[in-house]
Amino acid sequence: MSSKINGNVSPQQCPHLLDFRSRNGSKPFRALQDCIRVKPPGGRAAIRREPSEVPGCGTCEESSRPRLYACVACAAVLCHSPPLHSHASTHALSNPGHEIAVDVDRAELFCCVCRDQVYDRDFDSAIVLAQSINAIATATTSTSGATAMQCNVAGSQPENLRKRRRVDYRPWAPDSREHVIIGNHSILLHDATNASLISSTELPRGLRGLNNLGNTCFMSSVLQALLHTPPLRNYFLSDRHNRYYCQQKNGAFNGTKNSILCLACDMDAMFSAVFSGDRTPYSPAKFLYSWWQHAANLASYEQQDAHEFFISVLDGIHEKVEKDKTKSRSPGSGECCIAHRVFSGILRSDVMCMACGFTSTTYDPCVDISLDLEPNQGGSGKSSSAKSHSSCNVEADCKGSNQNCGISTLKGCLERFTRAEKLGSDQKFFCQKCRVRQESLKQMSIRKLPLVSCFHIKRFEHSSIRKMSRKVDRYLQFPFSLDMAPYLSSSILRNRFGNRIFPFDGDEQDASNELSSEFELFAVVTHTGRLDAGHYVTYLRLSNQWYKCDDAWITRVNDSIVRAAQGYMMFYVQKMLYYKASEKQAAS
Amino acid sequence: MSAPNEDNTQLSSHFFGDLLDSIIVDVASECHRIAKVGLDRNLEEEEEELRLSAQARASVADPSNSGEANNKYVVDIFGQTHPPVANEIFKCMNCGRSIAAGRFAPHLEKCMGKGRKARLKVTRSSTAAQNQYSRGSPVSTYSSYTNSTSTSRLSNGTPGFAGEEYSNGTYEGEP
Repeated sequence: MSSKINGNVSPQQCPHLLDFRSRNGSKPFRALQDCIRVKPPGGRAAIRREPSEVPGCGTCEESSRPRLYACVACAAVLCHSPPLHSHASTHALSNPGHEIAVDVDRAELFCCVCRDQVYDRDFDSAIVLAQSINAIATATTSTSGATAMQCNVAGSQPENLRKRRRVDYRPWAPDSREHVIIGNHSILLHDATNASLISSTELPRGLRGLNNLGNTCFMSSVLQALLHTPPLRNYFLSDRHNRYYCQQKNGAFNGTKNSILCLACDMDAMFSAVFSGDRTPYSPAKFLYSWWQHAANLASYEQQDAHEFFISVLDGIHEKVEKDKTKSRSPGSGECCIAHRVFSGILRSDVMCMACGFTSTTYDPCVDISLDLEPNQGGSGKSSSAKSHSSCNVEADCKGSNQNCGISTLKGCLERFTRAEKLGSDQKFFCQKCRVRQESLKQMSIRKLPLVSCFHIKRFEHSSIRKMSRKVDRYLQFPFSLDMAPYLSSSILRNRFGNRIFPFDGDEQDASNELSSEFELFAVVTHTGRLDAGHYVTYLRLSNQWYKCDDAWITRVNDSIVRAAQGYMMFYVQKMLYYKASEKQAAS
Repeated sequence: MSAPNEDNTQLSSHFFGDLLDSIIVDVASECHRIAKVGLDRNLEEEEEELRLSAQARASVADPSNSGEANNKYVVDIFGQTHPPVANEIFKCMNCGRSIAAGRFAPHLEKCMGKGRKARLKVTRSSTAAQNQYSRGSPVSTYSSYTNSTSTSRLSNGTPGFAGEEYSNGTYEGEP
């Protein structure tokens, strides 16, 4: 979505605008730049010849019209007040070449003949540049070469996002020779017309129960998700971490040690076992043993948290690799280890001074996103129509769904996560331009999406008053398909600058990234029960079928069970890495 | 000529009307841009997901649906049954004893000395503390204005020590 307007695609232009452009180029728009006034912080752009100008219609001399337009050709200010009159249209019709005007209060182009707002990239660029003069940033990562004006807005590259040489995506189809090779080495699938012969036990590979070793469902639930995380599964099944080689290389089998601690090796062993075709439940005992050595402070067989385990395992895989490699990798690039290659993304944090508009930007890598559930809406479900749709209302979280106010959604949580948040007066930020602490606005966005997004829902509520903690059982709706585009830095920035047509930080110029913000759900870890006595279960989506993984028990469930479940961790993979079962042809 | 009060009421009505008109045009202009430039979200898909979710919840709540009998499985999809406590026997990799799978974790806990003696010498380096990806640094949670030490910890299993003391999950390996 956002990539469509990254600078490559223009909205359809009306013939008058096209005509105007062919006659005048973009010079008149750039000449307007001097008249652009922006109220900080990050306010709307307006057109004024003098800062204190009060525009009024040249014909009727009214200033209080809601829509006043300045003719781009002659700078005459005229009103447009249908259905009464439109002095702007009259002016355009009687003066050829004067069809295009600009809304003085909103800095939007208007075609007075079509009587409609129109859009132009060069005009938008001029506006954005004028707005960014207010927001000159010194990003905390180096931005060598970029002009100060643009670095915050257009394509400032955090150093951990150094451009990798990209290869254009080209879909592949076999040629005739390759067809023959494929045919000779393939095992035929059952003929669709013999549908009855397809045994019901033709079940996906890698589906295998995990024995509970004693309150270890926190572990088996996360392991099931990892075993079916497509890029991770592919990595291990392609023998990219060979445990025999790794152990030998690191000095096992000689000396006193029987094995070197390496969670990746244990993971490799587990992948081999789970995908072996053996369907009896597997006991991840060695994995538990290794993990307890790695996470010594969590080595107790009671009360463990699945999310904590997840983070710990990724950390364990990363750490071992870090020790092996001699050169350090820049964090966030994901080049360091498979755990980060799969799960690591980059978050962008902007803090904007509310006095002067100066914005400070930082980038941080992350392996997952922890989301707060909305604050208690107190009586969810009632009076949904009474709830306002105002975007300023921090409590109402029902954007985009009129009839479902009261239901928490994953998208709602993500919207809150990326919302501009006013920092409290006790959290004033030091503004580098004002040289004092000022009230600020903070906004998060996703600069780089990982291959696999893990969303962790903070179902924990801690009350310091009552000195207790409780679990929030509130239902959270999560989609099976998720488009992350609205939460990207490019979209958030674009929205902050009025949705102008301009390449913002993160916009990719090439079309191969068009799909890269679409994700598919493949695993859900759910928790039922109380805070201190509960049970984890994982639902896996394989070939468009959902399976429930409850320790050793694997059963098939339908979509509804999963949709209605209480999600604690949701795993989404980039759509292009996700294989759906193809539609089988109906038997004739 | 109307009385001064009436004038004021009329005037304030007039201003209010102007402001309201202006705000309406603001919103219209923004929506128009979003639609024309191609930024509008696919609301139909989102509404469909919400509808499916509501439908699912209704069908699961319906007692007439067999639904899933929690933990009362008969056979799994491979036709197997499993006892409540896993009975696969294997050797403990720490002490060599034969243990039943379902009792392995409590055994290992004692066997490893509750984790304290478990750390082998070579698994930690001091650089682990500065590891950007360790739990303490801003890796997974992002509102630094929520209590950053708040943990969202859902434990499983039988109640051990109750209460709100949770490790904050720093994997530095320090004692």
